[in-house]
Amino acid sequence: MRMSRTEALRDFDLQEAPSQEAPPSGRWSQAASALLAGTLVSLGLRRRSLGGTVVALASGALLYKGIQSRRHTPPLPARARGHAPPSDEASRAHATEVERTLTVGRPAEVLYRLWREPDTLGRIMGHFADVKSMSADDWHWKLHGPLGRELEWDSRVVEERAPEFLRWEAAANSTLASQGWVRFRPAPGNWGTEVTLHLSFSPPGGAFAEAVMKRLRGIPALQTVKALRRFKSLAETGEIPTLHHNPTARASAD
Amino acid sequence: MRALCWNGVNDLRVETVPDPEIVNPHDVILRVTLSTTCGSDLHFIDGYLPTMKAGDIIGHEFMGVVEDVGRDVKKVKKGDRVVVPSFIVCGNCWYCEHNLYSLCDNTNPKPEYQQVAFGQPTAGIYGYTHAFGGYAGAHAQYVRVPYADNDCFLVPEGLRDEQVIFLSDAAPTGYMGAEFCDIQPGATIAVWGAGGVGMMATRSAYLMGAERVIVVDRFPERLAMARKFVGAETVDYSQVESVVDTLREMTGGRGPDACIDAVGMEAHGTGPGHAYDRAKQALHLHSDRGQALREAILSCRKGGTLSVLGVYGLMDKFPLGAIINKGLTLRTAQQHGQKYVPRLLEHVVKGELDPSFLATHRFPLEDSPRGYEIFKKKEDGCVRAVFTA
Repeated sequence: MRMSRTEALRDFDLQEAPSQEAPPSGRWSQAASALLAGTLVSLGLRRRSLGGTVVALASGALLYKGIQSRRHTPPLPARARGHAPPSDEASRAHATEVERTLTVGRPAEVLYRLWREPDTLGRIMGHFADVKSMSADDWHWKLHGPLGRELEWDSRVVEERAPEFLRWEAAANSTLASQGWVRFRPAPGNWGTEVTLHLSFSPPGGAFAEAVMKRLRGIPALQTVKALRRFKSLAETGEIPTLHHNPTARASAD
Repeated sequence: MRALCWNGVNDLRVETVPDPEIVNPHDVILRVTLSTTCGSDLHFIDGYLPTMKAGDIIGHEFMGVVEDVGRDVKKVKKGDRVVVPSFIVCGNCWYCEHNLYSLCDNTNPKPEYQQVAFGQPTAGIYGYTHAFGGYAGAHAQYVRVPYADNDCFLVPEGLRDEQVIFLSDAAPTGYMGAEFCDIQPGATIAVWGAGGVGMMATRSAYLMGAERVIVVDRFPERLAMARKFVGAETVDYSQVESVVDTLREMTGGRGPDACIDAVGMEAHGTGPGHAYDRAKQALHLHSDRGQALREAILSCRKGGTLSVLGVYGLMDKFPLGAIINKGLTLRTAQQHGQKYVPRLLEHVVKGELDPSFLATHRFPLEDSPRGYEIFKKKEDGCVRAVFTA
């Protein structure tokens, strides 16, 4: 069996090169947990009792876990990171990072220009972070962090090859060392452009870091691909699908 | 406004909820004039389809009058009377450009569910689980319709609501299912399920040149309607020993050229196969009862086509060997309604298609839970209940 994800994160060592994908047994167990969860949700919902609700909720969490743990964590060669001083290496060992690709039906030039528009990052990352453009190359990021603390940092573009590649890094004194890059490559046929988004976060050591990592670990794979999907919808249709103001008979719209 | 909400398994109630608003620039707000039950709703009402949330407004087959228009909507105007396919589509992505509308890449605000369950997410649907986007449904006084220029189809003058409402889902689904069969002159098509979709598939198969269409069901009044309104031959599976043998004998030992499954995951059946499915479903070991699909596979002639329109989750004990060894072609999709609605409207205007007979029961929205009750239990010969808001 695969380690639980908390353990996996705790033991994640930048010097190791973990496999790109979960081992088959892990994937099966995730698929099985998602399937089991679906069954349990319906089982729980069929019993209109508190116990039934608990079964439904617990299995909902299991479903979420099944979904969440499908992310893969590609290795980040420590020496390639560049942004974290070597002295920070030990305390910043608990990194999480993710890379996802989506095909968007527009030429790279158009997509690059859209990515560089001041409010684009804020719109496509809006489901997990507030991102504000401070200048053409500077963004301010804000995650609603754990322990009542907000996690904020500034990032600056450090590498740019229009219309193919853009990389940014958090300022050296940030609580959270983070970097990201986006790459635009032509897709075959008339598919448009393959857009790859890479995000990595490595918080400082200590209890706060643990809490931060718990917060961040929900972000990676699915949130990254969701950001790409939002970017794609914006590029292809001029809007992003939303449940804002969606009428329901409960308190939340979504 | 008032709306029919899902509050848990077999718990539907009409409640007061906020009115929808224009949110995105291509949205319109529709005042719903008529909406209808769909068999696929029963899957989440009965609790077999996950990712519903208490308080969700349901309903995905509807029509209405445009009440308010977003700033980037070009074609649709306030006051237009329109019918809207169940899948929300952008009209701009690769899939929409290739007429594969229900696969649209840009309309599911919650792609994460299907990304995991299916590998890639499909389009969103009104009122049909959060895996399909979590959008508010249309059993309500008003509904927000995104990408209105692609998703609203103007209803020609002179047609009644009942003639048009089923062009939202049942008719395009059935028509697509018949198109999948690549019908050649003289063809015999078998259709499992004499509900709205099955009867629309039957009529469509005749429109495409089929010589015979045989409908399989167990409800005498539905089989009678299939004979009367869409010209089907019928098989009551509860009255025959083997559907497969019966269909083989009816077709000179060959089997039907194509078989359409318009039943899905809550198939009823007879014999050990059904008992096995029902037991596993009751124990939550799987979510689907697949009797209709298995019969379709075994009935189909060698080299024929299976057209699967029923909604399934994860089905086991699937006789793949029969598909391979008989060289069957499997065609499936959720409805690409935007491709078919204009053509279907023409058929209705010309009098070649009149789906209004499906609307056997009519209720005000306030009584819609009762409508679902008799629809689900097929009481009083109910094929479809329609609701007026």
